[in-house]
Amino acid sequence: MEILDLLLQGLSVSLVPANLMACTIGVIIGTLVGVLPGIDTISTIALLLPFSYTMGSTAALIMFAGIYYGSKYGGSTTSILLNVPGEAASVVTCLDGYPMAQRGRAGAALSVSAIGSFIASTIGVIGLTLFAPPLAQAALAFGPPEYFALALVGIIILTNLTGTSTLKSMMMVSTGIMLGTVGLDSLSGISRLTMGVPELDRGFELSILAMGIFGIGEILTVMTKPTTPPTLPSIKLRDLYPTKEEWRRSVPPMFRGGVIGFLVGLLPGPAATISSFASYAMEKRLSKNPAEFGQGAIEGVAGPEAANNSAVSATMIPLLSLGLPFSGATAILLSGFMIHGITPGPALITEQPGMFWGLIASMYIGNILLLIINLPLIGVFVQMLKTPLNILMPLIALLTLTGAYSINNSMSDLVLIVICGIIGFFLRRTGFEPGPLLIGVILGPSLEQGLVRGLIICDGDIWAMITRPISSLLLTIGALVILYNLTSWLIKSNKRRREGSC
Amino acid sequence: MVLVLVGCSDIQTQTIPVSKAAKFPEKPITVIVPFAVGGGLDLTARSLEKFAPQYLGQPLTVVNRPGGAGTIGWNELAGANTDGYTLGITGIDMLLLPLYGSVKYNYPTALSPIVQVAATPMVLAVQTNKPWQTLDELIDYAKQHPGELKFGHGGIGSFPHLLGEMFAQTAKITIDQVPFSGASEATAALLGGHVHLSFVNPMVIREHVKNSTIKILAVTGEQRIDDAVLSQAPTFKEQGLDITLTNWYGIAIPKETPPAIKNKLAEGFKAMISDPEFIKNMNNIGLPIQYLGPQETQDKWLADSQKLTSTLEDTGILEKIKNQRK
Repeated sequence: MEILDLLLQGLSVSLVPANLMACTIGVIIGTLVGVLPGIDTISTIALLLPFSYTMGSTAALIMFAGIYYGSKYGGSTTSILLNVPGEAASVVTCLDGYPMAQRGRAGAALSVSAIGSFIASTIGVIGLTLFAPPLAQAALAFGPPEYFALALVGIIILTNLTGTSTLKSMMMVSTGIMLGTVGLDSLSGISRLTMGVPELDRGFELSILAMGIFGIGEILTVMTKPTTPPTLPSIKLRDLYPTKEEWRRSVPPMFRGGVIGFLVGLLPGPAATISSFASYAMEKRLSKNPAEFGQGAIEGVAGPEAANNSAVSATMIPLLSLGLPFSGATAILLSGFMIHGITPGPALITEQPGMFWGLIASMYIGNILLLIINLPLIGVFVQMLKTPLNILMPLIALLTLTGAYSINNSMSDLVLIVICGIIGFFLRRTGFEPGPLLIGVILGPSLEQGLVRGLIICDGDIWAMITRPISSLLLTIGALVILYNLTSWLIKSNKRRREGSC
Repeated sequence: MVLVLVGCSDIQTQTIPVSKAAKFPEKPITVIVPFAVGGGLDLTARSLEKFAPQYLGQPLTVVNRPGGAGTIGWNELAGANTDGYTLGITGIDMLLLPLYGSVKYNYPTALSPIVQVAATPMVLAVQTNKPWQTLDELIDYAKQHPGELKFGHGGIGSFPHLLGEMFAQTAKITIDQVPFSGASEATAALLGGHVHLSFVNPMVIREHVKNSTIKILAVTGEQRIDDAVLSQAPTFKEQGLDITLTNWYGIAIPKETPPAIKNKLAEGFKAMISDPEFIKNMNNIGLPIQYLGPQETQDKWLADSQKLTSTLEDTGILEKIKNQRK
């Protein structure tokens, strides 16, 4: 009950007009960042930092947090409508969101993703309210050996998401892992595979790869189609919202996605992206008809879109209770906090309760505001599909390129995103699914660095490394998944053979 | 003949831009931060950004150019226009990079300092629940268990890595280095007990010291840190080990920038850094002000550079780090 009191106290802080205003501005900017493809949260907050100097510190923090969690709301919009992901975390949403839109269910997909975002964000904030300090401590139990195990299991589980050829998926994952090694290696301090191009030292930016291969790739695919695609059926108002059946199917994934996203968010790395892939994999496995996935299964939209939102709430936990930013977006939040004279860390909650609980309470309010902002926008966005594609697509391409430039203020990123787009275009044509490539790029470095660091820590003893409690648990899960897949494959092929012999 | 020519060109660079310099700055000034957002250099830049319009007459625009352990951003600064509209944040890593070889510019000679803003020592931090509670106990343990202790740092050849190697050398112990990607990851590994010791920025660890999960065994500064929580930690010098190196943060500009513009910037930044509000702001962030003018900063670069070169070469640390970079 003590927490409830503190939260009420926080509510009184966050309802002060200046703070409520800051929250509203934050979530509106966040929504824009999310909807516009390519515009990146980190550079937006960095750009707005100077404008916050005249604001009170609590108001400024509330605004920055609002931009951060708000930006994960609209990320699915262009994924669903145009198959062009606005950010890496919404790549998965294309898989089923776009087929839904082609069937005239764009409104339902957008509604489900907005409501899923709201439910999961709220789950995340409740988790943050109740368990922040103990969860932060639990996250610290993950050392290099555990990251190695996690990355390995992640690659095993997430490789064949779309169910196309396993061989092709494995080729894509391997290519992804190789791409992940490009750049200045943090283990040796030397540049690898950069061919003397200094910009490549940074390694491939995840969002550039994702937006290039998926976004620009799709734009090229559409623009090179000789015939214009059939016009979409005109959408009536009641078609904008999910049917009862769609509801029934999407609520459990929202909650499951909320939980899985929250757990992934506690650990370093691009949590929002990983969590959306993880949620998709889980929904597909739990589904009674997995064959529907990829053809417009609403679970494949509801789960991942929920997961990336609760992941964002969870990334606030190490930031607030340890003072450690585990991602670029929380690093810029940390800068913002420090510039305003607030040092996050274990003492923050006891020393600045007004600020801390005010911020938490503002996240509850912000999420409600986001739902209020996003639901009516769905109608507007669906109307956008009436715009001829030969006008819409170049516009989206322009936005994507602008956003890509803003990430590192780098011209070479623009060249890279176009190259990625061309590669993405050919991958589609040849039936290679680029999803696993992204998994390789994300988890590859974790795998390598976890292994090398783990071996240093365990004095080169790999057995000691994989028998640490958490690693062995994770690796057992991985082994069980392989075993399960293998047996079900054997049973299936046996059946096929028997049927064939009949 | 050569002298005359040099003389002429000197006069030219000084006279022609004077009229320009009088009006300088006429547009926002870019500040390159050669690392990603967050961290000491970025925070220094953003604090300056906050106060700039008042003292420079124009806003600063902070741009992050991360990558290559700082080389991408500092290379861009060294090759930037000499019109005074591109500045860059500097730190001690800028002196380290050329020592390892293979950088496009020798930064201490390709850049010229405008000001040193702040300086902070690093601290040797350990978990409180470990069997060593003082520097001597740690060294004793390490001597009895050579190679068992691991130290974490944010990148091969970075300042904390160097300090770890220096500590091992000076204390005559064997400790293994574990490279992480960035200071946050290294700190998390220390907090989780995956590495045993780490050299960290005092402010990053301050809250954890207060919370008594982390203990500071030694400080790399000449004096103890002036802070309620951190002043209890003794320096290395007090404990008989010669490790005195501090990290510093400043502003630099391409060498060929006209002196009139340099002076104008130096004056503006000096005034800004004397502002009590700015000082308070920086103290809050944990970056105590230590102002040095252009000439003094240049001298310090030279002195630090020489000190680092000789220590690194004499002790074989340079060779060791170069080998670890393979």
